Amino acid sequence: MRAFTAITRVTLRQLLGGRRLLVLLPLAAIPGLVMLLGSNDMTALGAFRFIHEAPIAIVYLIVVPIASLVLGAAALGDERRDGTLSFIALRPVRRPAITGAKLLASWIAASVIGGVAAALPAVVLGAGTGQWAPLVPMILGAMVSTAAYSAVFMVLGHITQRAVLVGLVYVFIWETGITGIAPGLANVSLFRIGLTGYAGMVDGAPQLLDEPLGALTPGMGGALAKAALIAAAGIALTAWMLRSRDLASEAG
Amino acid sequence: MTTPALVADATIEVERASKWFGQKVAVSDVTCSFGPGLTGLLGPNGAGKTTLLRMMAGLLRPSDGAVTVLGSDPRRDPGVYAGLALVPEEDAVYGFLTGRELVRYAADLSGADRSGVDGAIEAVALQDAADRPISGYSKGMRQRAKVAAALVTDARILVLDEPLNGTDPVQRAHLITMFRTLAAQGRTVVVSSHVLAEVERMADRVLAIVDGKLAAAGDVAAIRRAMTDIPYRLRIDADQPRRLAATLVDAGHVSSVKIEEGTLHVETGDLGALGVALPAEAKRLGVRLTGVEPEDESLESVFRYLIRRR
Repeated sequence: MRAFTAITRVTLRQLLGGRRLLVLLPLAAIPGLVMLLGSNDMTALGAFRFIHEAPIAIVYLIVVPIASLVLGAAALGDERRDGTLSFIALRPVRRPAITGAKLLASWIAASVIGGVAAALPAVVLGAGTGQWAPLVPMILGAMVSTAAYSAVFMVLGHITQRAVLVGLVYVFIWETGITGIAPGLANVSLFRIGLTGYAGMVDGAPQLLDEPLGALTPGMGGALAKAALIAAAGIALTAWMLRSRDLASEAG
Repeated sequence: MTTPALVADATIEVERASKWFGQKVAVSDVTCSFGPGLTGLLGPNGAGKTTLLRMMAGLLRPSDGAVTVLGSDPRRDPGVYAGLALVPEEDAVYGFLTGRELVRYAADLSGADRSGVDGAIEAVALQDAADRPISGYSKGMRQRAKVAAALVTDARILVLDEPLNGTDPVQRAHLITMFRTLAAQGRTVVVSSHVLAEVERMADRVLAIVDGKLAAAGDVAAIRRAMTDIPYRLRIDADQPRRLAATLVDAGHVSSVKIEEGTLHVETGDLGALGVALPAEAKRLGVRLTGVEPEDESLESVFRYLIRRR
């Protein structure tokens, strides 16, 4: 437990330090700005409808995946790139504890960004119309999707040094494109996991989100179960790779 | 003990281990073992030392053969790492941590007592910089921080890859003394270096590796003796090279002399005798010497020679 806590703590400092936050925090502000500018002069109903269009799309399709990609891929990718992987891998610590701590840290870090991005438009809505119901579900839904994305991108960051590039292709081709065209694939779409969780908690949201959700059943319980399953698979797969793959490259 | 490459009370055993990366063979069919005491792993840059150490530490999986540490495969049994600490060659440190935080992190990861943190920092004489971020450290200070992070784990086996790189002479002497002390306490200390003089100062037993192969093994004196058979090559610059060459050819201790672009290239089996004769002959002939430099003194050439002899 001591090692788990130490890895989580140091990884959080690693992820939230430096220039990453300077790029991700302005990104997190965009949904709030869009909501502020777009819902100006709208009725309460109009503003409620509007938050389920552009702001929620930006949160779930852009901010959450990109924050999870940048931070999830860096969780182990930075260690591999900087040669510090040996510092944590050559320890009497079970591999799943290492990868679990890494995932927890990247999830917390990405949830800060995703949470801010999800909260801001909901706060604008609440402040303007008194409808505060979407605030907590928006944050929770973003955190659920972040968990699934972080797990997938942690694996990717361990496999390839071009994780961000590959991840962007995945987000914009697979998540936004292919899973939207083929309704059967919506079940394996990570942003929809959080969206179903959100929709299950807010009255009226499923109707407004019928296009992205399709035949998916709204509900936070199902969303949590799916995210937990993906996170566990990510932890197990990365732990297996830590055991079976070379942890360093060619040297003299 | 059956060969100089093997020890009786081994804590690390390398059995016919090879490692290749694509077409390149980094380590080829190496069999050796390491036990309590200080063993120097010597070889030129690119010889395969780091790859061998990484296999020993479990960072790399042998392409062929096997490596066991304390009787277990480190790739399969992370429990091995309670007894093994690696100090890698590269700048593998977290720049945003302070030296003290790095050592504390190592203690936390290894389940070691945090009360040993200050002692480990003192052991590498890093107290003054311990609370500064590592990103501001010199290379030598980073090396010492990594050594402190290894010491705090109180591991039975210390694998140190070029730990003296970047350290100044005072720090080097201090670290060498410390490594010897740790070895005298019964720990297995493996130190790699491409500098023969460094290894001579600290290790009683040496394994020499060249081109991924074990070139020689044994005590330092035996390696030295093997090296005395190597003909030395010198480059001599003088204002009258042909005149000097004619005299040197007649001298018994020079085996060959060549002149290329006005420079003498001399090969000798007795460097000491030539060192005495050369200035004396030059003075006698009225030849002005402008430069005398060893042409072939690199460790790489020495060990290539050892490989050829095998």
